[in-house]
Amino acid sequence: MIKSGINTVKGPLSLTAPTYLWLAFTVFLPLSAMFFFSFLNDAPFGNKDVSFSLENYEAIWNKQFYQILLLKSFRLGLEVTLLCFVIGFPCALILAKNIKGHWREAIFVLIILPFWSNALVRIFSWTMVLRGNGIIEVMLNWIFPGYGDFSFMFTYQAILIGLVHSYLPYMILTCYVSIQAIDDSILEAARVLGAGRFMILFKLIIPLSLPGIAAGSVLIFIPVVGSFMEPRILGGREGTFIGTIIEDQFTRVFNWPLGAALSFLMLFIILMIIILSNSLSKRLR
Amino acid sequence: MKSILGSMSIRSLIMSLIMIISSVIIHAAEVRVLNWQGYGTDEKWAVEAFTNKTGIEVVHDYFNSEQEMLTKLRTTPGYYDVVLINSAFTGQAQSEGLISAVDSSKIENFNDLSPGMGGNPNLVMNGKVYGVAWVWGVTSFAVDSTRFSNIPDSIEVLWDKKYAGKVSVRDDAVEAVQLTAIALGQDINNPSDLNAIKNKLMSLKSQVRTYWSSEDEWNQFFSADEFDLATYWSGSASRSKTAFKLPVEFVIPKEGAIGWLDGLSVATNAPNSSGAHKFIDWMIDPDFYVKWDTEVGAPASANAKANSMLPSSAFNRAVLGNPQKVSKVQFMGPMDDKIREEMLEIWQEVKASQ
Amino acid sequence: MIHSKSTDLYSKIYLFSIIIFLYLPILVMILMSFNSSKFYQLPIDWTFDWYVELAGNKKLLKAGMNSLIIAFVSTIISTVLGTCAAYAFFRFDFRGKRILQILLLPPITIPWLIIGTSMLIFFFWVGIGRGIFPMILGHVALSIPYVVIVVSARMKSFDIALEESARSLGATPLQAFFKVTLPWIFPGFFAAGLFAFAVSLDQFVISYFLATPGERTLPVEIYTAIRKGFTPEINAISTIIILVSMSILLVVSRYHRFNR
Repeated sequence: MIKSGINTVKGPLSLTAPTYLWLAFTVFLPLSAMFFFSFLNDAPFGNKDVSFSLENYEAIWNKQFYQILLLKSFRLGLEVTLLCFVIGFPCALILAKNIKGHWREAIFVLIILPFWSNALVRIFSWTMVLRGNGIIEVMLNWIFPGYGDFSFMFTYQAILIGLVHSYLPYMILTCYVSIQAIDDSILEAARVLGAGRFMILFKLIIPLSLPGIAAGSVLIFIPVVGSFMEPRILGGREGTFIGTIIEDQFTRVFNWPLGAALSFLMLFIILMIIILSNSLSKRLR
Repeated sequence: MKSILGSMSIRSLIMSLIMIISSVIIHAAEVRVLNWQGYGTDEKWAVEAFTNKTGIEVVHDYFNSEQEMLTKLRTTPGYYDVVLINSAFTGQAQSEGLISAVDSSKIENFNDLSPGMGGNPNLVMNGKVYGVAWVWGVTSFAVDSTRFSNIPDSIEVLWDKKYAGKVSVRDDAVEAVQLTAIALGQDINNPSDLNAIKNKLMSLKSQVRTYWSSEDEWNQFFSADEFDLATYWSGSASRSKTAFKLPVEFVIPKEGAIGWLDGLSVATNAPNSSGAHKFIDWMIDPDFYVKWDTEVGAPASANAKANSMLPSSAFNRAVLGNPQKVSKVQFMGPMDDKIREEMLEIWQEVKASQ
Repeated sequence: MIHSKSTDLYSKIYLFSIIIFLYLPILVMILMSFNSSKFYQLPIDWTFDWYVELAGNKKLLKAGMNSLIIAFVSTIISTVLGTCAAYAFFRFDFRGKRILQILLLPPITIPWLIIGTSMLIFFFWVGIGRGIFPMILGHVALSIPYVVIVVSARMKSFDIALEESARSLGATPLQAFFKVTLPWIFPGFFAAGLFAFAVSLDQFVISYFLATPGERTLPVEIYTAIRKGFTPEINAISTIIILVSMSILLVVSRYHRFNR
């Protein structure tokens, strides 16, 4: 890094100012506004009288079902992240180590391609696959005549499938980047020294690709906790999560302060988790 | 930089961009309607007839619940022209300043409305018309006629364990609570025992396969065999049967049903108020209504003349016109804010329960 | 990694099944766009009807146009802003640099649901309301962090000495940047732009809360259609979108090696 003398302050300031002013106006100020909003008792539009009150937070504290929903959503986030890891890590491993050259890049692009299709439509397509008289049921009846009803729709599992399908590429991508950086000679050396396959996997490969796994987990866990499209479309009566309740407050019920309070609470918990896992990983290292 | 970004090309790029954008922004005279999807106002032939007669285009936006309709009015002022508002909510919309008075002199068919409906106190306040009575019907449930040898006559069939996992209920707090109130024999606009209602709803949840929130969803799930019976509206059941040829039978059970009267209102600061009046006039016109009910399926018309022009076998004349069948129907009316909030909470709790 | 014939075979089978899993719904959707059944019932009744309907569907076409306009404008803005910031981080060392870099995380790490609803609250309060302009504001904010990351990665391979020598030969800092640095990092600049474009085009949550009935983007229109009821034209337009965006990505991958 070279300091350019007189321009030390002016240079970076003028270059970064536009970006951070923009972010301040569109992200930081709105978040503060939301925090402020959560302490109002009603949306301050039209001719309503509004005043400060803790009633939103009180409601969340008293009504058990908000807490249950928060737990449910975080559990969903955990399960999806775990599934993506279990399914995606081997995929990344195979891609990085087993496939060579030309093919490797082709398959890599193949895996990223679905990313570029519209997420909503992909979820909707899952309904056509999973529903009664859908693709799977028809195929099952064709292979095993008289199989009868198959419908995975409107179950927790359907939501899991939809979410894992959406977020799997993230995990594969980040793990692939990490695994690829592992020097083959290290693995070769371990093998020569007599280490078995599983030992190499658990003691070498996984620890060395931890940054990729961590990045993938964060990219998956956080959006899943706040998701509402997938639960709504795939979940049926199991499809109530904190994300859908928050969406309700803004689009249907018009209780913006309550929505703000719930959002802020979710944000707070996520931040705590990030900070905790950060310090945990520092200790492990 | 590459030559493609030469100054000449930039100018022509900007010009074409401006032309595309302006063609999107500038549009002919139009009237903007906010309604349920597939609920009469957006029938292709009806809209075409209207545009041919008046030269005004019709643009639609939709909602899935009365709550959503109110939120859209609150958050998008000065955008909508015509809004469909359930008469039980017209008072609330008016007190919030979301709708303005309708000039009934501009509506030719207004005097043909049956007096009980046209002058309904929920729609006419302080001598001013805030909602033009349009159609009315009942909310109850409908069954897949291929699954029932005998069409049930009691609302308790929704709780019948025989159909566990094959029931669907609309995702709407007020409707769910009110139907349960009917099952328990309570007043739907002022339930006496909300706790009992909550418990009964909890036991209903295990029967439910999924919630539905739009007519299109109802039809999709029905076609996919996701449920055998579900809560539904009389007009929509008629449409599923007539227009989509599905084996749907609507039931008015002995315990009664929820009655509703829908009115067409004009939003405050509507961009095209005169167009709005013309459109409302067309909607209550017998020419529109008879075709709508016989070819597509619709609720009962508030226009007595229009109703009398229906064939005598039509559901809307035979069943809804029969006082004995509709003796236990309770009509939706304005509700206390407190009660409505409690209903919302009960429903949220039921949905979130494990 | 230890290779043996059987693990090799199993791994290839595994990879193959994952790919099938990833593409299954997309294939279904493409198939359904040719199915005349209004309620997506099997067996498939082949038809081009929905594509014809789509051509006359003003709402969907307008939404598509909105999506493109917003993506275009926000890509330009976020790429310029993000590149400036990335350049500043690379070139200079200053107090608070670490904090600024951390401040780029919120748009990516906070659930979009929260960002979207807080923007809704704030813009309403401040009088900006909803619509295309607020959506552009939001999309830029979301894209900037990605731009900074991608451009920074490319910058790592840039030797600052090149710029310094240009300066010593008499070029002003601006000239040095445009004539020396920018051409070098252009692949990263271009990739960042593509990324920002993709992020904006597919962005749903923020657009959902900031949309008005007259001004919607395509994903929002599709969601509304799924929730409110619409004919299968959405399958048709989605098929078109998928095929178009995938072809773009295929073309790009020819010119940009992902494997170094």
